[in-house]
Amino acid sequence: MSYALIIGEVRNGVFEERNLDSVGICCLLQKKTCLLVPDDTAGVDERLVDTIVKARVAENMFLNPVNLANIVERLARVRGRPDCTILTHSSSGMEFAAYLSGMMGMAIITDVSGVDRERQVFLKSYYSDKIFGEFVLVEQKPFIVTVRSGSFKSYAAEKVASANVEYIEDFPVDESRLFLEYVEEEKSDIDIGKADFILSIGRGVGNKDEVCSYMELAESLRAVLSGSRPVIDKMWLPKARQVGTSGKTVKPKVYLAMGISGAFQHIAGMKESGCIIAVNKDQNAPIFQYAHYGIVADMHKVRDKLKQILSQT
Amino acid sequence: MNILVFTKRVAATQEESLRIVGDGKDIDMSKLAFTMNDWDTYAAEAAVKIVEGTGGLVTAISMGDAGSDEVLRRAIAMGANEGFLVEVEDALDDPFARASLIHNFLRAENIAFDAIFTGVQSEDDQFASFGGILAGLFGLPFASMVVGIDNVEHHHMVIRRELEGGVQEKMRIRLPCVLAIQTGANEPRYVSIMSIRKALKVERKVYKGSAYRADTKTMIRREKWVYPEKNRGATILAGELSEVCKKLLEILQTKGVHQ
Repeated sequence: MSYALIIGEVRNGVFEERNLDSVGICCLLQKKTCLLVPDDTAGVDERLVDTIVKARVAENMFLNPVNLANIVERLARVRGRPDCTILTHSSSGMEFAAYLSGMMGMAIITDVSGVDRERQVFLKSYYSDKIFGEFVLVEQKPFIVTVRSGSFKSYAAEKVASANVEYIEDFPVDESRLFLEYVEEEKSDIDIGKADFILSIGRGVGNKDEVCSYMELAESLRAVLSGSRPVIDKMWLPKARQVGTSGKTVKPKVYLAMGISGAFQHIAGMKESGCIIAVNKDQNAPIFQYAHYGIVADMHKVRDKLKQILSQT
Repeated sequence: MNILVFTKRVAATQEESLRIVGDGKDIDMSKLAFTMNDWDTYAAEAAVKIVEGTGGLVTAISMGDAGSDEVLRRAIAMGANEGFLVEVEDALDDPFARASLIHNFLRAENIAFDAIFTGVQSEDDQFASFGGILAGLFGLPFASMVVGIDNVEHHHMVIRRELEGGVQEKMRIRLPCVLAIQTGANEPRYVSIMSIRKALKVERKVYKGSAYRADTKTMIRREKWVYPEKNRGATILAGELSEVCKKLLEILQTKGVHQ
């Protein structure tokens, strides 16, 4: 039987919302859909897929690619090999998708944000969304796709009254990669999630010495300073001030982004803001597609001018 | 401990506008500078740091055209002991084709290793797949989004990988293994122009990639480049800088976050 397999992502027993993007792409592809989750998963909408296969394993078995590959192989023996295997382009999704591709010799297209069923074309980002590539499969054989968060969830539609539920169990535990624990990152006093006005700086800031002056600008604007991933990675600002999928999701009244080009991981963390204002040198920077207002200019010049105006009033 | 670290030469496009040419077939790269993929600098740093402690060898490997020698020299300047260039004339779009070519290469040349480090992804194609596919082909333990290497023992490492929303997964992974290193995992050391020049003296072996093409199937094909779909688009504040900044402050006032 021809079908798509969605590998569900579950954290602490809860079905992650981003799985809806995997459901959505299956709806667009008009595939019969089978969802694989660990047993004891809460929050699965049983109307969205045709079949739910529950693996009687601890959730962390899904975190080890070797264990998950065993589970997926068992499922394929029972139900036949899926035409396509769908994961989200998350930390675990991208990890397992690539491993499975190598292990099984299957084609893989990652970070897919669009699909054209007629032409069998998959759209994939390059260069932080400045350009996209349209990909096709060379042969019609089983393949793997990871989907970008937010790209397909609006297409996720109810298709059955209630999915068939099946169980698989009894899997060996791989010892080459042993789960030890979940670690929470250090807590901090600053909660950028509570701010009404956020000034956020990105790679365009250039070097550490410039960061101080943006701290000053934030103070005179009574804004809270945050940063995008490159700024945090280089330790120019503490992790607690990171906006994006691996940092905080924020929804201030105003989000002023300076020198941020707008990688989707960043956009995902701020796109719900009331008003987004972007300052960037590159008029084609993706962030201008999400901003309400844009200024095409060198961020440092804008900073200097703002400071000058603010000091005069 | 012998660690292979994969480094890729990519166009620096952060502040550049990219132009599609030739009816969607190409991107105009003529005015772009090239650099070591940002993620790979963290992978190289992680490898060098471990080997400084345990002893052994860091081998930087790059697949690309002759220009990729430049990133090998940078890796050597960072502390890698040697560099291998697997020379391919045209960039392979399919990450499976790339990984299987390298899989063939490592086996054909009998290159031994305790660990393979890559960056999580490259800045250009963002597939985030090469390390995982290679691990799958070898049947080696694999972890991606590695943000911390806490402990390195003879037969295993204790590492942390990033999940989402500030949560990490801590694990013990057996050697040999493949790790894809995330940016921010360490502080890549500064390398001077002098040290990159000095790296010229360290031998970089060149292998012809075509020798390892057997059975490397290309399974996906890029048909064309397209520009991103336009979203609502921003209202651009144009004019003199001081005018623009005043307009910006007015908007802040209207939104009630500035007096």
